[in-house]
Amino acid sequence: MIQLTSGICNRLSEATPEEIDEIGGGYTVQLVSIKKVTALSAAAPTIDRYRIIMSDGVHFIQAMLATQLNDLVSNEEIVKNSVVIIDKLTCNVLGDKRLIIVLDLHVVSREEEKIGNPTAAPSLAQPPAAAAESRPVVSAPAHQASHSAANEPVLAQPRPATSNRPGRSIYPIEGLNPYQNNWTIKARVTQKSEVRTWSNPRGDGKLFNVTLMDESGEIRGTGFNAVVDALYDKFEEGKVYYISKARVNLAKKKFSHIQNEYELSLERNTEVEECLEPSSLPMVKYNFVPLSQLEELQKDSVCDVICIVKEVGDLEEIMSKANRKLIKRDLIIVDKSQYAAKLTLWGKQAETFAADDLAVIAFKSVKVGDFGGKSLSVISSTLMTISPDIEEAHLLRGWYDGIGGEKTFQSYSNVSSGGGSSAAFNRNEMRSIFDVKQSQIGMDKVDFFSTRATIMHVKSENIAYPACPTQGCNKKVTEVNERWRCEKCDKTYERPEYRYILSMAVADWSGQTWLQGFNDAGLVVFDKSADEIMQMKEQNESEFNAYVAQAIGKTYNFSCRAKQDTYNEQTRVRYGIAKVSPLDYQEEAKHLRDLLMTSPWGQGT
Amino acid sequence: MELLSPRVNSARLPAFMGRTIVASHLRRTQSNELALVAFGQFQGTSVIVEACDGGQVEVRLNPNSELTATFVEIIGQVVGESAIKFMFGINLDSDKELDMKLVNDVVELTFDPRFKKMFPQ
Repeated sequence: MIQLTSGICNRLSEATPEEIDEIGGGYTVQLVSIKKVTALSAAAPTIDRYRIIMSDGVHFIQAMLATQLNDLVSNEEIVKNSVVIIDKLTCNVLGDKRLIIVLDLHVVSREEEKIGNPTAAPSLAQPPAAAAESRPVVSAPAHQASHSAANEPVLAQPRPATSNRPGRSIYPIEGLNPYQNNWTIKARVTQKSEVRTWSNPRGDGKLFNVTLMDESGEIRGTGFNAVVDALYDKFEEGKVYYISKARVNLAKKKFSHIQNEYELSLERNTEVEECLEPSSLPMVKYNFVPLSQLEELQKDSVCDVICIVKEVGDLEEIMSKANRKLIKRDLIIVDKSQYAAKLTLWGKQAETFAADDLAVIAFKSVKVGDFGGKSLSVISSTLMTISPDIEEAHLLRGWYDGIGGEKTFQSYSNVSSGGGSSAAFNRNEMRSIFDVKQSQIGMDKVDFFSTRATIMHVKSENIAYPACPTQGCNKKVTEVNERWRCEKCDKTYERPEYRYILSMAVADWSGQTWLQGFNDAGLVVFDKSADEIMQMKEQNESEFNAYVAQAIGKTYNFSCRAKQDTYNEQTRVRYGIAKVSPLDYQEEAKHLRDLLMTSPWGQGT
Repeated sequence: MELLSPRVNSARLPAFMGRTIVASHLRRTQSNELALVAFGQFQGTSVIVEACDGGQVEVRLNPNSELTATFVEIIGQVVGESAIKFMFGINLDSDKELDMKLVNDVVELTFDPRFKKMFPQ
């Protein structure tokens, strides 16, 4: 009969982790049980882990087999009741629980009878002062084991399948609700906001947010005032924590874009423990939208994109409407859908942006805007990862290096770097006048469209106004004592510089409407400066009328802005000309030919 | 005698033997020597031009016909596999570079079955 090292189990169960390391190896035990522990998460690769029960004939204790020893089990070199000599083991501490891990062993005798009648080793190390009362019921049996005489009581306990960590049952984030308070989640901090302070008549305050994620979903957590001091530094982006005792409230959708009905309020008694074992939680869950589909998203909605940064704009400073200085930087991004879009970075992120040329960047939670068609903007919960190690990124890199670099991209109203020029004419997205009017574009918000139309009539009574000659100032000047005065610049001039102010009726095959144009539009339509045309009006009215009439019947490409306007209690949508260009017949013919020959639209009967 | 004159390129000429066609955007080649040709009943000058699909066409002129521009559109009767008898010509010169491929594509499109009704032959 093989001699087991009696007393070793007792010793191991009572020793501190450091002592265990010193104990080293060389003791004989019998493996009275070997059980496979299956991983819960579908995301993790299925690495088997085996939980073993070691007995020294008198007592038994639990341990985990290190994965490097898995082959011994799968090859059946060790089976139930095999006797082995432990060469190396270690003890991991997880919170208040100790977990013994066998790192190396060698087999003494494979097939044996059970030796002795071991009972559970007494006095598992006492947990440090953690709130034991609110521990989930599941962990209670762990203490029962010491009393039970049954052979393998330890294994009868319901176990959290994923973790090596006995005792706590981990709730999925998806299952959190305000009615259940006794939960622990294991989640990764995918985003931590900065500490934000506010000051209002009721007083000052500060807060911070974190976005927590596990396999089942995401949830936002917010901590206020004192909690900021307690927990802000504890959370680190990218790390995994066990969190419990936070309050589950209804989510305030206004402040968060996270898809969850609920959110967590981190309080003073909220417990946050770092999870030290390698975790199978995915880093960040993305739901990438191809840029070609941005069109389908509503303004202000949030999405994820993965893209190549084709152009990096300069850092710009702009004044917000609230007279605050904002720092921004525009990027032009492209992706496999062969579309390009503008993405704006703000504040610190804009300042510190430093990525390689044509880097692959994944953005989580960027806001969709409608500046110049469709644009993207980072928000406080945006997560930007440069060159992420995910399949999508590699695919994108491969595509771009291969063929993407050569391609020209369809963009939302031909955005060019350094500021979206929503003024460009977009041949592909041209709309008929009937469609423009019927769709009520411009009703709720400023919108842009392109159309091709023929001028039917120009209102010639008020075709131009006297403007301030100062560069950049186009304010109307008033005649005072034969001189012209600009209120804004506080200067008077001999002569004003006239600028066009056009009101034209234009029509296409579908309908007719009125467009408002300014100086740029006038120059194109009349091929004379406003000064010249006003002079003509003064000198020879009939010649002037004839000249203006010449504009009728000419067709142009118009790039317009639709905006709601209230005038004398009447609210109407007005169409302003951002850019007007004469037809380039060759370009238009090419476009039509392409439409007929290659586009799907052209292939239909 | 029908009055239809479809627009063709050099490749499609043979299909319209004896009929009147429009040969658009013919380019007068650099060496546009007028050749005095006498075969059969034809007596007069003729010019070799390049059609929009790159093929060569012989245009038989009569003493009145003038062809001075670089790009012309000629309405004529098909008298040979690649010869037409000049009836009328229009000057198509332009400051801008003309896109021959675009012209040819349009000509080919008019023969597309999808548009049979629009371009009867």
